[in-house]
Amino acid sequence: MSNNYFNTLPLRVQLEQLAKCRFMSMDEFSDGVEALKGKKMVVIGCGAQGLAQGMNLRDSGCDVSYALRDSAIAEKRQSWKNATENGFTVGTYEELIPTADVVLNLTPDKQHTSVVNAVMPLMKQGACLSYSHGFNIVEEGMKIRDDLTVIMVAPKCPGSEVRNEYVRGFGVPTLIAVHEDNDPKGEGLALAKAYAAGTGGHKAGVLMSSFIAEVKSDLMGEQTILCGMLQTGSLLCFDKMIEEGIEPGYASKLIQYGWETITEALKYGGVTNMLDRLSNPAKIKAFDLSEELKDIMRPLYNKHQDDIMDGTFSSGMMEDWANDDAKLLGWRAETAETAFEKTPAGDVEISEQEYFDHGILMVAMVRAGVELAFETMTAAGIVADSAYYESLHETPLIANTIARKKLYEMNATISDTAEYGCYLYNHACLPLLGDFMKGIKSDVIGRGLAVDDNGVDNARLIQVNAALRSHPVEAIGATLRGHMADMKKIV
Amino acid sequence: MTIRLEDLTVNFDERFQLNNINWQIEDNQHWVVTGANGSGKSALAAVLAGAGNCVGGQLSGVPPRVGLVSFEAQAALIEAELKKDDADIMDVIAEGTPVREILLNGETDPALVAELASLFGLESLLDQPFRKLSTGESRKMLLVRALASQPDLLVLDEPFDGLDVHTLAMLQQYLATLVETTPMVLVLNRFDEFPDFITHIAYVDKGRLEHQVDRNDASAYADLYQLLHLKTTDLQVPGADPDAAIAALDPTQPLVKLNGINIKYGDRELIKDLHWTIERNQHWQLSGPNGSGKTGLLSLITGDHPQCYVNDIFVFGFQRGSGESIWQIKQYIGYVSTALQWDYRVGTGLRNVIISGFYDSIGLYTKSTKRQRQIADQWLALLGMSGRADQPFNKLSYGDQRLLLIARAMVKHPPLLILDEPCLGLDDMNRQLVLALIEKICAGTETSVIYVNHHPEDQIQGIDNYLALEAAK
Repeated sequence: MSNNYFNTLPLRVQLEQLAKCRFMSMDEFSDGVEALKGKKMVVIGCGAQGLAQGMNLRDSGCDVSYALRDSAIAEKRQSWKNATENGFTVGTYEELIPTADVVLNLTPDKQHTSVVNAVMPLMKQGACLSYSHGFNIVEEGMKIRDDLTVIMVAPKCPGSEVRNEYVRGFGVPTLIAVHEDNDPKGEGLALAKAYAAGTGGHKAGVLMSSFIAEVKSDLMGEQTILCGMLQTGSLLCFDKMIEEGIEPGYASKLIQYGWETITEALKYGGVTNMLDRLSNPAKIKAFDLSEELKDIMRPLYNKHQDDIMDGTFSSGMMEDWANDDAKLLGWRAETAETAFEKTPAGDVEISEQEYFDHGILMVAMVRAGVELAFETMTAAGIVADSAYYESLHETPLIANTIARKKLYEMNATISDTAEYGCYLYNHACLPLLGDFMKGIKSDVIGRGLAVDDNGVDNARLIQVNAALRSHPVEAIGATLRGHMADMKKIV
Repeated sequence: MTIRLEDLTVNFDERFQLNNINWQIEDNQHWVVTGANGSGKSALAAVLAGAGNCVGGQLSGVPPRVGLVSFEAQAALIEAELKKDDADIMDVIAEGTPVREILLNGETDPALVAELASLFGLESLLDQPFRKLSTGESRKMLLVRALASQPDLLVLDEPFDGLDVHTLAMLQQYLATLVETTPMVLVLNRFDEFPDFITHIAYVDKGRLEHQVDRNDASAYADLYQLLHLKTTDLQVPGADPDAAIAALDPTQPLVKLNGINIKYGDRELIKDLHWTIERNQHWQLSGPNGSGKTGLLSLITGDHPQCYVNDIFVFGFQRGSGESIWQIKQYIGYVSTALQWDYRVGTGLRNVIISGFYDSIGLYTKSTKRQRQIADQWLALLGMSGRADQPFNKLSYGDQRLLLIARAMVKHPPLLILDEPCLGLDDMNRQLVLALIEKICAGTETSVIYVNHHPEDQIQGIDNYLALEAAK
């Protein structure tokens, strides 16, 4: 079994690595793909992410080909079709890897160990190995040959978006990192920057991070607020609405599209703006509910972060890998059978504002999840910038997938790693919120507050607003959204 | 009584012909006839007063007394006066007919003549000879004569032209008092001069009555406004941005050279061994049945087709697949298609949509320069969309979006403009709008055009190279 790399490091280095995060300026990408000119890039894996990145890099002037396993080529599998139909050279590992200056490992986490073990002996001296996710290095302790440079370029979006945004002339926010143990020629950063520019990521903003910060924050965000909270919230809110006699089609639609609508407000103006979309009485109600939720769920968020930090999470998941994903597949099947998943959204009109007014509990859940995830990550030594991206920033992206096709789509789009963690969270959180949900009525989910007037106590409202606005996720959010706005607000 | 023009064809001195006009004017309607110079709008109005030689179709229901004021009528009157002078064999200085005599011609009401003469400020001129009047004065005189004859139908060709502000307002007011009694047909060129009582607009182009628009149909009215604007404006296609000039091309090289290219999907060969060279300043029309690969072929040129990397393609100085980026290629190309319009789902303002053409992006992700904003505003003015710079693009009508995307494609003055069925999905008026804009572009720039089109009636002048694809096997 593997060795957890993070756990081998002294605390001083752990903290230093966790704290790595810097929003890079556009000027740092003025050389474009120059550092990759004349270099041969070979992509391993031609799924959505692999194909999208390869197409972008080629359209930016890079030399890209695809190395697939012999069987994928012989059987003309989908990955072979993806690559050949798009006019790429395709070859076996033996044919292509020895010629490669940069090898892009874009396979799922689960395959990393076997893929890297297969390609490393074939790689030429001084070449570069690139990852899109640091799990293999950080959690599995993969040791890479000393002469090889190891970098990470991680677009923070699904493959389809990576391609679409590039074609529009833009890109998706991207995280880059250099594995400092493997930067023998000191060219890691230059290669990572050129790679990010080749995929268009520099236009949307690049974060300079570390393998460790990426893994520990990414795992935490995806398990808790991003996927876990939205899945748990969907199931609880739906069942409650049915219990309260709300028409199932309406309940289904309110949730399926509600997350997207309320987190759109989050994307533009943070938690503050999301709650500002509510009437004053509803805002105070949502605030009180979310305070309660934070108290109840805080131990769960701490546990997830602790398990991620000490490797308990990854070793548990790797056991399931070794067991042919028995747990993951079982949980996936269970999710497909939930009442929410099986009830199609009704053909009813719900206005944008109604999603807020009738979804007070959903707003409370998003606030509680975002703030808790952010607080937990920063308490564990992850810097605010990373914590912001892995919590608040990505929530709307995940919410969009639920709007497309409910939890099925969300779980199909996210990585198996995220999906596994999401189910862990869901299983713990459902019973944890049992008592809380007993006190919930349709005034906060499904029907909206039944109040005669919107009057509230001034002092109380000021208190609530101050608490929302002074949360640290709002401060860093305002700064980072400012950076992003320079690039994207015009859209 | 309804005036009916049924498939009417009218000849004017062999110089000009109105063709197959179908038009009905009801009693309670008041029309404006409009169109560009030389379109035949004045001729159409004059037909109602008996002008021209009907060579086909039917004209019926025209009332006996039609009051006509037009430059032609004015000119005819002046000519008649001059003839009288020529006919004078007496050795005296001819004075010509006094204004009063022309106004009181037996058909007019003297009291009304006096009232109108006073309104138009002609009192002091009543005893002057007509031919001594200035152009503006003689025009006013004609208006007085026509109005004082209390006709059953009033046809006024550019009645407001050359009138001072005061007289113009007075005339508008006076016409408004006739609304209940007299149907009116006004030939007017400027939308802002259309009086409020106008109920319908007829648009004439190249001797045909192309559009009839009900004043209450706001969207058709707005489209017609733009069409007339594009057809009549003196504005030219705005220049390129000198600060963002596209890298110069080698003048000895063709723009595009496709060498025996193939497009294949699985086993299906869409295009096989096609050779195509596009030289500078050539305009091409590309045609072929659905599915023959027109769009695929074009996307090999634009770099949007992944198989551009497995073909022998030379574009704008780059052999494809030699380390160039698609943005280096795209800077030389302006592109418009229905698919682009589908992809261009952004809520950004109209000005930014045009500016995005400088960056070949869908949406705008870079701060624009002041000059780019100025150029974009000039384009909006050309399109008749001034003052709408900040309106969201996705709220525009389909036709207006298309116009904007053509402006976006041209804003950088690319060496090559690709118009992939630019009229697809547009109604008749918007089609003409788009064609008017394209003709303006073809006339005013050095851009080569590739025009994909199915419809023979959507021809663009100046295109003289043709490539026809066959249906894929």
